[in-house]
Amino acid sequence: MSSAPHAPLFVREMGLPTRFGLYVLVCLFLLGLDARYATLNGVRSGLNAIIHPVQMALARPWEWLLGVGGFFVAHGELAAENNRLKRQQELLAASLGDRIAIEAENTQLRALMALPPRPGFTLLPGEIIEASTDPFTRKVIINRGSGHGVAAGWPVVDANGLVGQVTRVYPWSAEVSLLTDRSQGAPVQNMRNGLRIIVSGQGSDNFLEVRFLDMHADLQPGDLLYTSGIDGIYPAGIPVARVAKTEPPHHTPFARALCQPLGGVGRFRHMAVLVPTAGVEKQRVEKQLQPASKKTSK
Amino acid sequence: MNTRPLLPQGAELLHPPTRNKVYISLLLAFALTLLPWMEQIRWLVPDFTLMVLLYWNIRAPRIASLGTAFSLGLLTDVARGVVFGLNALAYCIATFIVLLLQRRLEGFDVPRQSLQLSPILLGKEVLVLALGLAMGRGDADWRWLAAGIVAALLWPLLAWLVDRITAQAPASRQTPL
Repeated sequence: MSSAPHAPLFVREMGLPTRFGLYVLVCLFLLGLDARYATLNGVRSGLNAIIHPVQMALARPWEWLLGVGGFFVAHGELAAENNRLKRQQELLAASLGDRIAIEAENTQLRALMALPPRPGFTLLPGEIIEASTDPFTRKVIINRGSGHGVAAGWPVVDANGLVGQVTRVYPWSAEVSLLTDRSQGAPVQNMRNGLRIIVSGQGSDNFLEVRFLDMHADLQPGDLLYTSGIDGIYPAGIPVARVAKTEPPHHTPFARALCQPLGGVGRFRHMAVLVPTAGVEKQRVEKQLQPASKKTSK
Repeated sequence: MNTRPLLPQGAELLHPPTRNKVYISLLLAFALTLLPWMEQIRWLVPDFTLMVLLYWNIRAPRIASLGTAFSLGLLTDVARGVVFGLNALAYCIATFIVLLLQRRLEGFDVPRQSLQLSPILLGKEVLVLALGLAMGRGDADWRWLAAGIVAALLWPLLAWLVDRITAQAPASRQTPL
């Protein structure tokens, strides 16, 4: 046995089982530490800063290959696509005009009703560079990070609706937890009757669920759910999901509903981070401070 | 009756596995897992890092040992964005088992090695899924176990490739009976 390659060369070297035991202990310690506390975030973003450039460099040849492949696409196809895109752009320009008009009207109406103006957000478009290789999480990495001014907690949307939320920020990239992730939830409002509920992800790509629904709640298949904006994270009025089916309570006092996400959660390559403008950030802080000051005045 | 010579002969004596060879090939394998794989086949992509690690555990157990497994595991944890220590633990366990069986595995020819290693490669995927379940991270997607099977199937190809690249004699010489 002394000739076995893993036997210690010197007598004072630790044996294989001892070393294995130590490494397992360190692993378990790290697991516990990272699962319960956020102490290792610095280490993680440091290591990520090393890996990220490599990842970008590796993706480059792929893009070139795709580019070369795209070069040989038939001319007719390109022309057709060009036509289609032109038409689409005209449509978009038209709808943008509509939107500006509606926005103007909306602010006027709001002023009329003496409501606070709706929080202003600017869009920071980004692209998915990597999807998580973990069977339990629905997360993607986008190519916008703290270097571009992104901070954790900001909502992420695409053309159709809410996609998720920035959960971790690295120097040049950020991790977006999709709405379908089990740890994600969004406060929404039923468009038809204003019912306020919370939808949460359940780890599947296709469905969100309303976990604790009052059994008499007026929620029907086909109802549209919009963010209610009462959590201070997601602004109000972003389309989130359409109710697919409701289930009566089985063994619990609560009913349950399944909804289909409206945004292209896990389907599209591009998405945009909603960046709160400075005024909104101030407002939010003031809002948080207000109840406290009211209490003291009483 | 083992007629294997006491000292390595021929090509292996001229080109022994060096630290550089081991670490560079491990980093290349890690880079391979970082490639932008398509979403549809993602769950089929085997863990190349683990495969090359096990290869060197068999080939050069003094160079690629538990410390290497641990560091690579941590790198993989960061790259996959999972809890720290998950893959490190899986890699350490796999390396420990392979080091225990190193003498036996070295003697087998490549297809049989692949058969012997398949429980370890599959077990790693099971362990990662089971740990995820135990930590309450949601329902397991059992499709991901396929990666372990693919890894076992790709083992002969990988062993041949690394043999070639590092200019070594074939990884295992079947001992004549």
